[in-house]
Amino acid sequence: MHEVSIALGMIEELMRIGRENNAKKITHVKLRIGRMSGIVTDSLIFAFDAVKLEHPLLSSAVISIEEVPLVYECNKCNKKFEIENFTFPSCPFCGSFGLKIISGEEQHIEKVEVEV
Amino acid sequence: MCDTCGCSHEHNHKETKTIDLNQSLLKSNEEAAASNRKHFDEEGIFAINLISSPGSGKTTLLEKTIDALKEKINIGVLEGDIETELDAERIRKKGVPAVQITTGGACHLDSLLVHKAFHSLEHQLNGRKLDILFIENVGNLVCPSFFDLGEHLRVVLISVPEGHDKPVKYPKAIRTSQVLVISKTDLLPHFDFDMEKIKKDALSLNPSLTIFEVSAKTGDGMQEWIEFFKKHLLSHE
Repeated sequence: MHEVSIALGMIEELMRIGRENNAKKITHVKLRIGRMSGIVTDSLIFAFDAVKLEHPLLSSAVISIEEVPLVYECNKCNKKFEIENFTFPSCPFCGSFGLKIISGEEQHIEKVEVEV
Repeated sequence: MCDTCGCSHEHNHKETKTIDLNQSLLKSNEEAAASNRKHFDEEGIFAINLISSPGSGKTTLLEKTIDALKEKINIGVLEGDIETELDAERIRKKGVPAVQITTGGACHLDSLLVHKAFHSLEHQLNGRKLDILFIENVGNLVCPSFFDLGEHLRVVLISVPEGHDKPVKYPKAIRTSQVLVISKTDLLPHFDFDMEKIKKDALSLNPSLTIFEVSAKTGDGMQEWIEFFKKHLLSHE
């Protein structure tokens, strides 16, 4: 259940950002989470919503999540393609198994909306 | 009447601002990890984070590794567990300083816990310098893979009884590690364990992974593992 630790770290960071920007309230937090980041977004939101109530600055903050698809690039023909899960695709264009992941492992806070 | 603009009706004049961050969700852990790594670098310490499911043989591998290296190399150990001092006691019996980190429930170590524990370890050393710091994580193949501790090398163990399907089931542990140790290979005759498949799957997930097949019990494969360490230690200096 790493989502609780991640939510706690995120809250600490959001509090810092809120204070730095003299925010009265943080209203919206936008995250980008890769399809293969290993973060269960429902659990993250659950943990965040449980802990945010302890912090007036954050208590009405809403999280929205953009899920980033898993995209591979072929090392041989350099074409990119999207795929549903990790397990071992070959390049649909040239059949090569030499692939690298270029997106889908993101775990980012993209932006925060605050009331000042 | 609205106090802010003088118009005839009540409304809210909230000023809002959007702050673009595009930063890691784990920034606070990553910053503390970077500071740990910098400290290890300054002290000339090569730090290794050992992760695996419970019971894959991390502590036993560590004991045998200590036996093979301790004459020439100063080793320190941080032991992560939810409860008990058992593992740190096992390591101390080898004559190596060890600090137990009990998380009290958390299923992984984080860089702040490591920071604090490392300072306790430094107290035990009385000024003696370390060459290698082993950090044995809490037994768990999921959560530890999210948390950089400031290590230079992450080693994941998968033991034969766990089965060859673990890399595909726990891809993040494989993706974030540099070394895979397939442990308890003395048990291969008793399990339907497909060695070629586990290696192929692990390398598909992480093509630069170095893989060892080791039985800490019989010593099979230990030589390669120890040589790898000696080489790494030389290149780290």
